[in-house]
Amino acid sequence: MIQVENVTKRYGQHVAVDHVNFTVNKGEILGFLGPNGAGKTTTMNIITGYISTTEGSVKVDGYDILAEPEEVKKRIGYLPEFPPLYMDMTVQEYLNFVSDIKKVFGPRRKQSMEKIMDLVKIGDVRKRLIKNLSKGYKQRVGLAQALIGNPPVLILDEPTVGLDPKQIIEIRNLIKELGREHTIILSSHILPEVSAICERVVIINKGKIVASDTPENLSRGLGDSRKFSLRIAAEEKQALKLIRGIPGVKYAESQGVREKDTVDILVESEKDIDIRRPLFYALSRAEFPILMMKSIDLTLEDIFLQVTTTEKEVS
Amino acid sequence: MLAVFRREIKAYYSSPTGYIFMGFFLLICGFFFALYNIWAQSRDYLSVLGNIAFIFLFLVPILTMRLISEETRQKTDQLLLTSPLSLSNLVLGKYLAAVAVFGITLLVTVLYPIILSFFGTLALAEIIGGYVGFFLLGSAFISIGLFISSLTDNQIIAAVATFGALLLMWILGWIQQGMPTDRVSGVVFAVLLVIAAAALVYFTMKNIYVSVAVILVGAAIMTLIYIINPFAYDGLIVKFLDWFSLLKRYDGFTRGILSLSSVFYFISFCSAFLFLTVRVIEKRRWS
Repeated sequence: MIQVENVTKRYGQHVAVDHVNFTVNKGEILGFLGPNGAGKTTTMNIITGYISTTEGSVKVDGYDILAEPEEVKKRIGYLPEFPPLYMDMTVQEYLNFVSDIKKVFGPRRKQSMEKIMDLVKIGDVRKRLIKNLSKGYKQRVGLAQALIGNPPVLILDEPTVGLDPKQIIEIRNLIKELGREHTIILSSHILPEVSAICERVVIINKGKIVASDTPENLSRGLGDSRKFSLRIAAEEKQALKLIRGIPGVKYAESQGVREKDTVDILVESEKDIDIRRPLFYALSRAEFPILMMKSIDLTLEDIFLQVTTTEKEVS
Repeated sequence: MLAVFRREIKAYYSSPTGYIFMGFFLLICGFFFALYNIWAQSRDYLSVLGNIAFIFLFLVPILTMRLISEETRQKTDQLLLTSPLSLSNLVLGKYLAAVAVFGITLLVTVLYPIILSFFGTLALAEIIGGYVGFFLLGSAFISIGLFISSLTDNQIIAAVATFGALLLMWILGWIQQGMPTDRVSGVVFAVLLVIAAAALVYFTMKNIYVSVAVILVGAAIMTLIYIINPFAYDGLIVKFLDWFSLLKRYDGFTRGILSLSSVFYFISFCSAFLFLTVRVIEKRRWS
């Protein structure tokens, strides 16, 4: 559905996107991951035709963005990083305007607009001026705008940024639901978000793709250890000595006292060994009650540090 | 295009902009009408139109400053430029909205000659011609303002720059008078023009060979003209500045002359600036 071939964008000497290649299949949800300034937004702006490439080509549904921009733009709904909203319009007026410029006319127009407003739950604010809406509502109006005209491709640049946790979950579920009928590219710098929604992840750093795989494979393949955070009612030195003696523990380190008469310890184990049971038995034998045991998932930063330090390039 | 037009019209009247423009325009117009026609008991309405042209200096920037700069600043241009809407339709829609607000305001002032007509016979054809000229002059200034608005994402800068550009139009006549008219200065001026063109080509294409080619072709044409008709260089600066003198062409209208070539000139002037605006927006994508 989307083919990005050898796309490069230079701003003078600065290379924002450097020979990026990837394809997105029909009906797929692709996560676009990277730290700020990695080139996510630039790449999305290129796919949507907002800015041009210096080199390379982008094809959507077989149409080239440079040769047939209108055909491509008709097929894409874009939610940019900052939702492009007119503050002096009401939600209804704004969506009408978007329908006009996207050339959505006829009897279906009203019906589909109602459907979209239902979907993103903005029906109750339709008569309000956009400038008076909260950040969460603005984001949803932005999403509604992208959905108008029912484009087969959706490009969402950090769609959950600035939302409260409840709204984040709602929007994620909504995106998953949309993924059944649409091809979606979604950018984020939050790993759990991407692993919750996306079928495939592309990690980009300094304009280059450094990894591309399913979220499961990424965290499995990239992490070579498992980490736990423990809180034990024990004396620090004794506890550390005991834990370091358990087979499979690679590393243990005190993280200081956060609760009276306890100690917090970070434990790292080999990837294939589950040390939770041996930990429990060893500590209970020594009569050190475990007050908390929490597995620490690999964060984007961890994976990121790994892919960027090994300098592995995946095309 | 119609969608953009409607949105802009709405934006003018959902903010103070439209009202400020109309209010000031009608205030000044009414003041001059009272002063020239009522107190002076004159039926010469054309001179009112001629005298109030200066209000464009202050009012056109108000009308045009946010047209495109605000879209860039609020990033709403991302919506417009990633939609199937063509750039020329976008620019045209915005331009026509500004022109429409100006046109509606101007229509209100038609009341004045109607009032005058109760007290005497008016030179109707001349007044219509005067209105046509006034409308064209305003439309041309609006096209300059629109163009400047596309160059920056700051409304204030757009307004001040538009004011400066219009002021330049006003003092163009005085500048002309101070310019030398001999052949040597004409040749020097032509050389400067060619160099400026080459520089422009260099900055847009970053290609030194093309720029050198522009200089060579320019030099060849200049030499050819000099051989065929050296008189062409006499007073070249004045002739060149004449091309940009909107007010000089407007003068004709206020004296009751409706010249088709002037009408054509104004329309081409607007089209040129609209075209440049489209190019500026287009170029932003490529840089």
